[in-house]
Amino acid sequence: MSGVSAGSLLGRMIREEYRLHSELFGDRFAAFPLLVAALSGAGFWLLTLTDVGVGAVAAGLHGLVFFFGLQVGSIGLVGRDALRDVLGDVTLLVFSARTLPVTWRRLLAVFLLKDLIYYSVLFLGPLAAGYAVFAVTAGVPVGDVGLLYLTTAATFAYGAGASLTAAGVATRSRIARLGLLAGVVAVTTATVAGRVDPVALSPLAFYESPSLATAAAGFGPVVVLSVLGPLTFRPADGGAARSSPDRYSRVRTLLSDDTGVATRSTLEVARSSGSVWKVLFSMGVLFGVTALALDQVTRATGVAAHAGIAFGTLLGLGAFTTYSWVTQFDSAEEYLRLPLSLSAAFAGKRTAFLALSVPAGLVYLLGSLLWLSPVQVAVGAVVFPLVAVYVFGVTAFVTGFAPNELLFDTPLFVAFGAALAAVAVPLVVAALAYTEAPTVAVGVSVGVSLLAAAVGVGLSNRAGRRWQRKLR
Amino acid sequence: MPAIETTDLTKSYGDATALADLSLSVPEGELFGLLGPNGSGKTTTIEILTGQREPTSGSARVLGEDPVGDPLAVRESVGILPEREDPPSFLTPREYLQFVGDVRDLPDVDDRIDTWADRLGFRDTLDTLSTDLSEGERQRVMLAQTFVHEPDLVFIDEPLVNLDPIMQAEVKDHLREYCDRGNTLFLSTHFLEVAEQLCTGVAILRDGRLVAERDPRELGPDERLLDYFREEVADADGERRQQQTELAAEPTERDA
Repeated sequence: MSGVSAGSLLGRMIREEYRLHSELFGDRFAAFPLLVAALSGAGFWLLTLTDVGVGAVAAGLHGLVFFFGLQVGSIGLVGRDALRDVLGDVTLLVFSARTLPVTWRRLLAVFLLKDLIYYSVLFLGPLAAGYAVFAVTAGVPVGDVGLLYLTTAATFAYGAGASLTAAGVATRSRIARLGLLAGVVAVTTATVAGRVDPVALSPLAFYESPSLATAAAGFGPVVVLSVLGPLTFRPADGGAARSSPDRYSRVRTLLSDDTGVATRSTLEVARSSGSVWKVLFSMGVLFGVTALALDQVTRATGVAAHAGIAFGTLLGLGAFTTYSWVTQFDSAEEYLRLPLSLSAAFAGKRTAFLALSVPAGLVYLLGSLLWLSPVQVAVGAVVFPLVAVYVFGVTAFVTGFAPNELLFDTPLFVAFGAALAAVAVPLVVAALAYTEAPTVAVGVSVGVSLLAAAVGVGLSNRAGRRWQRKLR
Repeated sequence: MPAIETTDLTKSYGDATALADLSLSVPEGELFGLLGPNGSGKTTTIEILTGQREPTSGSARVLGEDPVGDPLAVRESVGILPEREDPPSFLTPREYLQFVGDVRDLPDVDDRIDTWADRLGFRDTLDTLSTDLSEGERQRVMLAQTFVHEPDLVFIDEPLVNLDPIMQAEVKDHLREYCDRGNTLFLSTHFLEVAEQLCTGVAILRDGRLVAERDPRELGPDERLLDYFREEVADADGERRQQQTELAAEPTERDA
């Protein structure tokens, strides 16, 4: 393998990625590009009904693709435990530097290139095709659609490179992690204060106004991050990780945990790949997408939605990923062998879930104080944990300890989606109606959230008995 | 009172029968081995006796408790070591045993952990993440969680798997001592020599049915448990084939 060429490695990684997705989603994965094209085409057609401009749609697409890149770039590195949970023991070629004479940097560089090619073909291509129908009808030249495909692909690489670089810096040292956090805060502050225009430093700038200057400013950061990612990443050394003897007792006291389930789950999430940072990261992606969507809605319709309600709702729904993590390292069968009821096990899981997700969401809500009023943020801070409690209850009741089953069971997925929509839709409507009826909108949001939380508590209390019956 | 008693215990999954009319009695202090080929119903038996599954019909008593009606009471008083079960990857052995202590509401957990770490030889790795332990070290931790609450009855699926020869000898001695103190051990194993060396009673399952019971200590000098096992399983297979042949030969209404 020492003489393996980058091209050969790339081909194998692309084949591996396709087989991984086929294993996850079955034969129907072959129809995935068609589905993306159909869904994006339908979505863009719906947007034409709301008088949204072509420029706003293109900007929104770039934003979404950037966050998608962020997510994809991190999954190979922080999601190894998740893959193992879904597919059993999984070893990807990107992890083979431990056993074969090929360097981490080389593997990561090819891994990044593989992601760019794979998703450009299977996802961004169909997305651009769906956009083309809408754009050409609206008078956009076909050449601009080709340009959009190029700049969204670069934007995807921008996101993937950014998350790989962030993961790489984070593997260096605690000081490096603090530096990274400080950098993110500085960039966010400068953006909010209007001193930095992030669009000018992205491929979107070139799409909006093609020139040598915008190419340099727009594609430069993409190149820098794509090189920095593989250069900075350093795998954990092979030494056995040790823990302080009283770590368990301290966390248990902090969580006031009687059964130990919450303590155990929290420690497991904190020590698995990506640590608690993955909770913060996934919340950050949702926060970013929500901020972008709010901006687009305001630009397109002139409606200033209540950002606090929108953030609270989306962050609460996004806490589903935290549920996956707190249930990833054990199984209901394990608790069936212990003198502990499944109801008590779910109660412990709920404590761990809230202990991890609520602080992460609140970090972003507090950050939004930079441009939102304290009242808006306060409403979001009420809505968010209540919706999270609902999400926990629904997920526990529907999926038990195996939330990944949602990926494979269509009726289950539909039931789960409907249950979430039942709360999300009234909250989103309330957020949009805020300008028209502010008091009613806030009242409805808080009321719906309180009701949802009560239902969530009821469902999570019943989840233990339900799964006890099903499993025995 | 027997430590374990089952009457016509049956477990079906749809049309498939995992366990059929199992009636067993295991006296206190017995080191009992449940033998059988893969898929014969050994794990299902343990799962029912420890309240992890409900039988389709029949009844069971474990230390006087009903594993169907009150599974938590059974699991409070027994120890369970399933096959191929590792301690949680991202907890240290100390933390895992603290967790087990919390669930079981045990006093003096730290002292118990030290005792079992010394006895099973994993004190040096008490604060190492389990993901970094060898398979043998993980098995020792799992053995510790089985015995840490000093149960009167223990269920073990393959106790010696992944242990080095020295540790195997030590664990065998420990299991014998455990039963010498009046405790009961219910062992499921593929390794007949383990059953031959350790057990004071064995039962052989085939296709969910009990086909034989035997005290290995009564085997003659030239007899081996493996030969006995082969004969009983072969007999059971022969009887099953005979029944199938007879059933096939019976005229059906349509034939008539």
